[in-house]
Amino acid sequence: MRDSFLEYHPFINLIYFGFTISFSLVLTHPLAQGISLVCAVIYAVSINGKKSVIFLLKYCLPTVLLTAFINPAFNHEGATTLLYFPNGNPLTLESILYGFSAGVMIITTLMWFSSFNRLMTTDKFIYLFGKVIPALSLVLSMSLRFVPKFKSQMQTVTEAQRSIGRDVSNGSLFERTKTAIHIFSIMITWSLENAIETADSMKSRGYGLKGRTAFSIYRFEERDKYALIWLSFCGLFIIEGTLLNAFGFRYFPDIRYAAFDMTTIPFYCVYSALCITPVILNYKEERKWKTSVSEM
Amino acid sequence: MKRIICLILAFVLLMTTTACSGNFTQVNLNEPIAIPENGIVEKSVLDKVKNENAIATFTGSSNDIKYEWTVFGSDINETKDVNLSVVLNKSDKGIKVNFTETKDLGFPALLSIHIKEKWSADSATAFNGGKGVYSVSVTGSKTSILNISVNKIIREIEILPDETKYTEDTTAENTNPTENDSVSSEKDKYLSGVQNSDDRVYSDGTATGKDKYDTDPVPEGKPMPVEPENQEINNKKTYTCIFSIECSTILNNLSDLDPDKRHLVPSDGVILPPTKVAFYEGESVYDVLQRVCKENNIHMESSWTPVYNSAYIEGINNLYEFDCGELSGWMYRVNGWYPNYGCSRYQLADGEKVEWRYTCDLGNDVGREGTW
Repeated sequence: MRDSFLEYHPFINLIYFGFTISFSLVLTHPLAQGISLVCAVIYAVSINGKKSVIFLLKYCLPTVLLTAFINPAFNHEGATTLLYFPNGNPLTLESILYGFSAGVMIITTLMWFSSFNRLMTTDKFIYLFGKVIPALSLVLSMSLRFVPKFKSQMQTVTEAQRSIGRDVSNGSLFERTKTAIHIFSIMITWSLENAIETADSMKSRGYGLKGRTAFSIYRFEERDKYALIWLSFCGLFIIEGTLLNAFGFRYFPDIRYAAFDMTTIPFYCVYSALCITPVILNYKEERKWKTSVSEM
Repeated sequence: MKRIICLILAFVLLMTTTACSGNFTQVNLNEPIAIPENGIVEKSVLDKVKNENAIATFTGSSNDIKYEWTVFGSDINETKDVNLSVVLNKSDKGIKVNFTETKDLGFPALLSIHIKEKWSADSATAFNGGKGVYSVSVTGSKTSILNISVNKIIREIEILPDETKYTEDTTAENTNPTENDSVSSEKDKYLSGVQNSDDRVYSDGTATGKDKYDTDPVPEGKPMPVEPENQEINNKKTYTCIFSIECSTILNNLSDLDPDKRHLVPSDGVILPPTKVAFYEGESVYDVLQRVCKENNIHMESSWTPVYNSAYIEGINNLYEFDCGELSGWMYRVNGWYPNYGCSRYQLADGEKVEWRYTCDLGNDVGREGTW
């Protein structure tokens, strides 16, 4: 699916992810966690496709199961004792559920970040923070850029080394290790040098100086205004719900939660609406595109 | 644009004001309520405590002695105006208490009397005409607090210190005079009732310096620790001991308690009343605690601490260490003495009295003597 939320102003993207990621970390109510997880998965799948489904099944599912197993081994608090460990400590229902919830929280955050990385490209980042915190945003964008750049440079160096007879996939274990270490040392030297070069280059262009402008293709349009109003309304509404304990849920010593009734349901509705916003925008854009194509 | 923002702000404000009046959580009647001069606490107040399932404290004073009532909302069946004022007078040995209320309160409540000096014994009993009517638990470090769980009002009582608590036990079971001879000083009357443990080693008080598990010398006449790996459990011989678990100190420090744990505290502080428990020869306090908790479905968590070669009790009944202030946790006392080593190293003898008590002040409020 075409991602039209990507084309919104970077500030809107940032606010959206700021809200969703921080709410997924703060709200421990299973229903809120479920809403966040489902929306994060839908969005990630809609923009990354199959890749994120594989990621979800291969890494996320085991993570949840692992935390659900590991937590009760160390945490024995809770009112509902299921059975006793050989050392006499109880296995409690609450600790299992808490482990499960922690696992869900981790994977929800991972899913949000996978979409975040796709949307918040380096140029958007620099655009947003280049003026406010120039040094930090440069460092951040450089380090974010570092991994893919390192990968591609590694490829180049490995191929060059192979052509002069130092192949990592050939020879005895000792020789291969030696070659690998050699390549690695080249890479370290290159990355250090590259960092200094980038910093010098940015400095010579006057990066971070007062009055320096930067080219950007982003404009705060009418639709961004509406999006901003919508997101901030949702955000404030949910923050208020949190303060009022509408998402209240505690695991220890026994499970207690805020009543699910007319006073709390609106908060869950707004939370779902906030999380699903980009998917709806994409869907609307798709519909528009299709109808305009069919009209032609 | 501006109009829209104003509308949103107004809406949010409206939500705040309406939702704040909504009742999402338990409201804690955290602040103590002063008992009015006529002593009457109105029905409406008690209704509030009941409906909010709160724990309320009502404070007052009489003849310069402060007292407070702790009332659990969950215990209240009927509500009516009650007179909670109490007249306190010092007597020769103890304290005389006169309740103003003549009928029953309609709910059990805990009366805590804060006396200005240290109480002369570990526990106390309230007497009416020579008959013991309430048992009184004593907490507090420098000055004592007497806690009486009041179910039925008995108008005039006198609280007197229990001095004969352990000697009574010994006269009843004193069948081993040779054991008595080996224990010389007056203080050690607690141990004279111990019948078995021919192989039990008592401290002669001459040791100096710490042992290899960082334990200070054991006071004279007290049993020496037996390492868990050396304890031989004899399944053929069973003995009994008196086991109890209580946390009444929390009731005197409710403001420090983790609010999530409030409902775990029993209204009289007793988690397990003194119970006769059977055990095999050679078992330690820890073994017995573990079994007692399992049998009575009381939650208990412990962790093995290699440095002290003993298990450490982190929490009982989901009340954990540090849940009621940073000096709080579980301690055990055997025959009136808090051993200075872990509960896995205390090998029980027949007829001993084991108390697990929750402290909010490193043991000073539950009658532990000495300094750390």
